[in-house]
Amino acid sequence: MSEKENSLSRRSVLKGAAVGGLGLVAGGALSAESASAAARIKGTTVRWTTRGGGATGDKIAKAVNDAFTKKTGVKVVAQQVNSDDFQNNFAQIMQGSPDDAFGWMAGYRSNHFGELGLLADLTREINRLKSSLPTSAIKGATSPVSKKPYILPTTYYPWALHYRKSMVKDIGMNPEKIDTWDDFVKLMTLTQKKGLVGYSLGAKGGWEAMGTFDILNSRINGYKYHIDLLNGRAKWTDAKTKETFKYFAQLIPFMNDNVLDISWDGMRDLLLQKKTGAMLMGSWFANDFKAKSQADYDDLWVVPFPEINPKWGRDTIDAPLDGISVAANGKNVAAGKALAEFWASPEGIAEAVKAGDTSIYVSKSFDTSSYDSFNKQKLAVLASAKNIMFFLDRDARGDFAGPVVGPAIQSFIKKPSDVNKILESVQAQWDALPKN
Amino acid sequence: MKAAATIKKNRSRRSLSKGDRFTLSAFVGIPTLLQIILLWVPAVVTIVLSFTYWNGVRLEDIRWAGIQNYKTIFVNEPLFYQALKNNGIWLAFFVLVATPLGILLAYQVDRGIKGHAFYESIYYLPVVLSLAVIGIIWNFMLQPGGFVQGLMGLDIGNAISIWGNPDINTWVILGVASWRHIGYIMLLYLSGLKSVDPALKEAAAIDGATEWQIFRKIILPTMQPVNIIIVVITLIESLRAFDLVYIIYGNPTIFPLLNLLVFQNFAGQGISMKGAAYAVILLVLCIVPIITYLRVTFKEDLK
Repeated sequence: MSEKENSLSRRSVLKGAAVGGLGLVAGGALSAESASAAARIKGTTVRWTTRGGGATGDKIAKAVNDAFTKKTGVKVVAQQVNSDDFQNNFAQIMQGSPDDAFGWMAGYRSNHFGELGLLADLTREINRLKSSLPTSAIKGATSPVSKKPYILPTTYYPWALHYRKSMVKDIGMNPEKIDTWDDFVKLMTLTQKKGLVGYSLGAKGGWEAMGTFDILNSRINGYKYHIDLLNGRAKWTDAKTKETFKYFAQLIPFMNDNVLDISWDGMRDLLLQKKTGAMLMGSWFANDFKAKSQADYDDLWVVPFPEINPKWGRDTIDAPLDGISVAANGKNVAAGKALAEFWASPEGIAEAVKAGDTSIYVSKSFDTSSYDSFNKQKLAVLASAKNIMFFLDRDARGDFAGPVVGPAIQSFIKKPSDVNKILESVQAQWDALPKN
Repeated sequence: MKAAATIKKNRSRRSLSKGDRFTLSAFVGIPTLLQIILLWVPAVVTIVLSFTYWNGVRLEDIRWAGIQNYKTIFVNEPLFYQALKNNGIWLAFFVLVATPLGILLAYQVDRGIKGHAFYESIYYLPVVLSLAVIGIIWNFMLQPGGFVQGLMGLDIGNAISIWGNPDINTWVILGVASWRHIGYIMLLYLSGLKSVDPALKEAAAIDGATEWQIFRKIILPTMQPVNIIIVVITLIESLRAFDLVYIIYGNPTIFPLLNLLVFQNFAGQGISMKGAAYAVILLVLCIVPIITYLRVTFKEDLK
């Protein structure tokens, strides 16, 4: 049939055209490569990325960067990016033409990319900052594998139990003394009796509930077991891990019914609207209380998560460490390193604080004397812990935390009785991961 | 299309002049080239990568994995089967409910029922919105603290669980997706119906055929090419579903879909070639309808 002939002849024309085109493309690739080589010349301009933070973030960045320009004569071009997009595309951005320096996160997230050669080694910079940085922060910023730092530590914040003092007083308890598991359960029970949520939790994003798992596991089995578990040196099917989930299951009846529908902002709103007794979350949301009213802010309180196993007491806390990293593929790595060092130095921190930064800096130079009582309490909560965890998705490898542990905790909240099946599946998925 | 017509006129290639040949190669060659570079090269690379371990950064880190990625997905991943189920339900719902509804609407509008212009614009409206925008709108309405929950007087603490409730969320999501899909199908079908000669229907009516008989025996067969396109579009729309759910959840684990799993394993900190394996599985599931689609459109061109 003619149709067949036609399609045959057309196909051969297509083939010819395709082959001709491929040659053209190969030529294009060659010239692009030489162009990028020519562009790899050091300039006196350095590029900076602010990761989220809105107008305040830009204001802080401008203050610090301007001071850097004044000091070194290096011009800084700054931009702000959406934090989630930056995280999700991090590997691609770092392999493309990244900004020279940017705010980033310690733990697996910097170590992994540092070891892959995408983040610059900051050993020299961190050594120069030694006098102002505590050893724990330097240790936290250093990869346990390559023994090199790929981030200069700046700020951290506690994941701890937050509640409103007025609500605790209302149920007849002492807001200064929520110390033991029994106190905690009593607080939740009495709040729930008033028709409110005892313990609010969100897990829509898959990561929020990891904080509750982290703290329960480290309270019950200790810091070392928790870190071992996240790195495959302990088993998810172990009776010890199951014990943690037993405690987790005890919390579920106190929770809101729509855990999988809300994220951290929903949790914050519950506390803001006086609808929940307690919640475990990172203290970063306190600024939103302040924005609502000073009275709401003054009512907010934070304490370490209660003791469960007396062997460990309250010796561990999730306190994600943030800092400044430098892209290894940046156009001006040398200037990027200088800028990062300035941000992490006492001088840079002073500029950031002056511009309205309310974060807690790890630096010894950081002056906390003007702190309000809530921020002082945050410091006390941090200081009371001996071991610092960075949060599950920074303590465990990226292809395990988000894709495996996150959905496992969601399924557990949906159906706690499936716990054995869920943990077996998590272990099987760990075992199936490619190991180096 | 122009190229196809040229071929038809000149049955034998030898009779093509030099200029014709050049034009022909340019018209067919450039799109083919782009197609190969932008689609088929990445597709082949993805297929190869799905048999490796790699974190997407240094080429020298690529290690051969055999079928391990697929084995992990089929044996160890509960999300895969949930995604397969969700995509399956999505497909069944679109094929059995949404698409027939769209066709029915098109038929009624075409018949000129009372207020047909009104219905037409109402159902057409969601089609101009992208699924991402539709996701934002419905999330805003239904999430705890959202508009609908607020109307019912429910605050965040006691808001009805919709997106997080596995008994409800599937149907709400399908409802929202159909909200757009029905209008889309209606539009496609309506444009086809406009080209059906009204004399055919009149003749059948004079011969005493009922409304249903006219539709079954006259309209459907006349609309055959449009029908196939609609079937294929319904298949592809169901299998490639992504944006709506991603916007609502921001994460692929509460309502997994195959495309969300591809994304999850390729984006973020945990890049792994399991993402490539998911993409290949999705490709295999899509390729049958796509080939059908291409064959039908080519046949049309040659007619």
